[in-house]
Amino acid sequence: MKIIVALIRKEFLQIMRDPSSLIVAFILPTILLLIYTYGINLDAATVKIGIKNDDSNAEISSLMASFSQNKYTSVTTYFDREEMCNDIAGGKIRGAVTIPGDFSKKLAASREASISLITDCTDISQARYAQSYVSEIVNGWLVGRCGSAAPQRVILSPRFWYNQNLDGRWALVPSSLAVTMTLIGILLSALVISREWEHGTMEALLSTRVKPIHIVIGKYVPYFTVGMCSLAFSICVMVTFLGIPFRGSYPTLLLVSSLFLFACLGIGLLMSSVLKNQLLASMASIVVGFLPSLMLSGMIFPIGSMPKVFQWLTLILPPRYYVNFVKSEFLSGTIAHNVAVNGTFLLLLGLFFSMLVYRKTARRIDVRG
Amino acid sequence: MPKQACIDIGNLTKSFSAGKTVAIENLSMAIEKGQIIGLIGADGAGKTTLLRLMTGLLLPDFGKLCVCGLDPTADKEALNCKIGYMPQRFGLYEDLSVIDNMKLYADLKNADRNFDSMLDFADLKRFKSRLAGKLSGGMKQKLGLICALMGNPELILLDEPSVGVDPISRRELLKMVKGVVDENRTVIWSTAYMDEAHGFDTVIVIDKGRSIYRGNPYDLASNAAELEGKIIELMGGYVQISSPVAENFRAKRTNVTYAVEALGLAKRYGDFHAVRDNTFRIKKGEIFGLLGPNGAGKSTSFRMMCGLIKPSGGTAKIMGIDVVEKPSLARSNLGYMAQKFSLYPNLSVRQNLEFFAGAYGLIGKDFADAIGRMTRVFALEKYLNSNSEELPLGYRQRLSFACALIHNPSVLFLDEPTSGVDVIARREFWNHITSLAKKDVTVLITTHFMDEAEFCDRISLFSKGQTIATGTPAELKKKAGAKTMENAFINLISKGEEETP
Repeated sequence: MKIIVALIRKEFLQIMRDPSSLIVAFILPTILLLIYTYGINLDAATVKIGIKNDDSNAEISSLMASFSQNKYTSVTTYFDREEMCNDIAGGKIRGAVTIPGDFSKKLAASREASISLITDCTDISQARYAQSYVSEIVNGWLVGRCGSAAPQRVILSPRFWYNQNLDGRWALVPSSLAVTMTLIGILLSALVISREWEHGTMEALLSTRVKPIHIVIGKYVPYFTVGMCSLAFSICVMVTFLGIPFRGSYPTLLLVSSLFLFACLGIGLLMSSVLKNQLLASMASIVVGFLPSLMLSGMIFPIGSMPKVFQWLTLILPPRYYVNFVKSEFLSGTIAHNVAVNGTFLLLLGLFFSMLVYRKTARRIDVRG
Repeated sequence: MPKQACIDIGNLTKSFSAGKTVAIENLSMAIEKGQIIGLIGADGAGKTTLLRLMTGLLLPDFGKLCVCGLDPTADKEALNCKIGYMPQRFGLYEDLSVIDNMKLYADLKNADRNFDSMLDFADLKRFKSRLAGKLSGGMKQKLGLICALMGNPELILLDEPSVGVDPISRRELLKMVKGVVDENRTVIWSTAYMDEAHGFDTVIVIDKGRSIYRGNPYDLASNAAELEGKIIELMGGYVQISSPVAENFRAKRTNVTYAVEALGLAKRYGDFHAVRDNTFRIKKGEIFGLLGPNGAGKSTSFRMMCGLIKPSGGTAKIMGIDVVEKPSLARSNLGYMAQKFSLYPNLSVRQNLEFFAGAYGLIGKDFADAIGRMTRVFALEKYLNSNSEELPLGYRQRLSFACALIHNPSVLFLDEPTSGVDVIARREFWNHITSLAKKDVTVLITTHFMDEAEFCDRISLFSKGQTIATGTPAELKKKAGAKTMENAFINLISKGEEETP
């Protein structure tokens, strides 16, 4: 016990003395939160669309008007097709609508009439927005034009649960807790065992009566504490300053977060004790920890639309479970089933990684030891 | 009746890289309790491996090893309670203070927190809250020792504790260690300093993983210099041949008289004067020694003279070129060997040599010749494909020296080049240095080996950032009224310290 206390005390002194660990724990999360809140916007913004109208029929002017009145599109009118195509190529507009000369004639004859839409698919999401806005506008115009004579249409009346304003930040910012916690859990902890190897202090530790279990606990406890402080800090900033609603329960949030942190620390310490080199361990922690929490967690890209292989891969990565949990905990409140499933998986992963850490923590300098 | 043998070794073998490198080969010996044993041996002879085997940090391939009555393989934890081990880099946490390091090791070793007497013992009381990383080499060594002594160990293992430590601190350390040895306590101390080894009760000479001598140093020689000769003989002898490095040296034509000039060099860090108004001139082909205690400002002077750090005042010239104004041009004449190993740790020996040869603009035949020559001269063949961080200490120094010499520089700056290298390699190093000097290469060198100081043409004694005496070795000894260079050093430095409190 005395040994563990001494090791923990030493680790805290090192953390306090090293400004970089405090930066990772408190400054970096703040910066990330600000970026997620004000920098990234996954919601549709105004899409720039170009229109060239070849149909001289007066009826079309009302269609043109619906385009320019729509609040999600900003419309430029072209008279020259080539100029419009050039502007697509130059990125000035995202979609180019051409109304053919016989459009109203065909429409009047009740035959099929078509409007051409060219989109710039270098940016898929913008192209999709352009497509859906254009078809929405045209359909709206058709309904208005035909009045009651229009064919029967089903009108959707949407209710947006958990996030009435469809504010993407409400989902994104809580998920960013996963990134913050991987920073501490994986990046910071990946450095600490390898540092002891590099500075030759591991050799001195191993020559005393210290056992691997002491070393492992001596690393877990301090970084767990720092991680939880950083978590509390981030939650506080989110709820009080950034106005993110929290509908769940704090004890549940802290409990599952601590399981997530436990699993992350396992990954970080595992890399640290296997690689024994700070630079390698920090690079590896970015690949194994930071990037998956951004890209394979379901935070930005839905897991369901990933290729199967990646979907399987996410199963062994803690961020997937945590992002799933934290989104619903913030926005829809505690859901017992969700908490149980994600919590159990995080606990299992944490135990699994910790066992590996324990087995990989050297008793000796020998590789076989 | 207690067992008298503290360590019992029988047919011990240990190899690395799946048997390719044999570190300890069929070693057998018994070491009795209650004495100081010096472990001497060539670079890569297996000294560190042997000490690590004794602590249980490494496992033997086969053979018997019994330390303090315990088997390091099976009873590592029990054994570690009886051992105080100080690894080569002291094992201190550099970002913790002196007292925090002591508290940590006291708790780890279940020792009393009786720090005051220990701090007095090591004379570190004034520095108790200083970070360990900010201590001088001598103070780190003493702190490492008191940490190793905690918990009253029966066996104390010190792995080259005095590498890069000045003669005054080394004397203090030896005094401290002698103070703790009694009939129940044994010290094993690996060293490259013959003056230290000569003062021990027993020396064990290891060569290529085998013990080639064990006994009282007095039986071998009556003084340290003689001991060095005897040990070289035991290790196969040293034949001085003409230095291949010097033979292949092509001097650049120059008409400067002073190859190196320091003109009022000064460096301040805040209120702290690391170097004050340092002026000296070194003639072409002269070997100029810069001696002084750890932390006197020698390395700072070196770095300023290479143009690596900017002086707060004054300047330096290399071959007449100002290092502050034209650092790159001045450095092209310079071969610099830093005190801290500063090659690429994860490149192999060959890749390091190739990099430095290429960086200094050697191409084609010159490139291949230079690398081949350096490999042969410094016996690096065995390690060509090993990463340089895995090399034994002495081989790292050889590689650094080789990289500094590879481009035939007219001026050499060598910061403790021989720290950590074995006795034979040390003679070889000096053979190259003196032969190069004969070909008009100018050498500025620091060392903590006082016998090496005798090889210098002139010496500047440096203390607390100031030159306190300059002259030939004979002049300095005369000035200090001492017979040996070591006593001259100690007298002049302590006198200098009294005068500038």
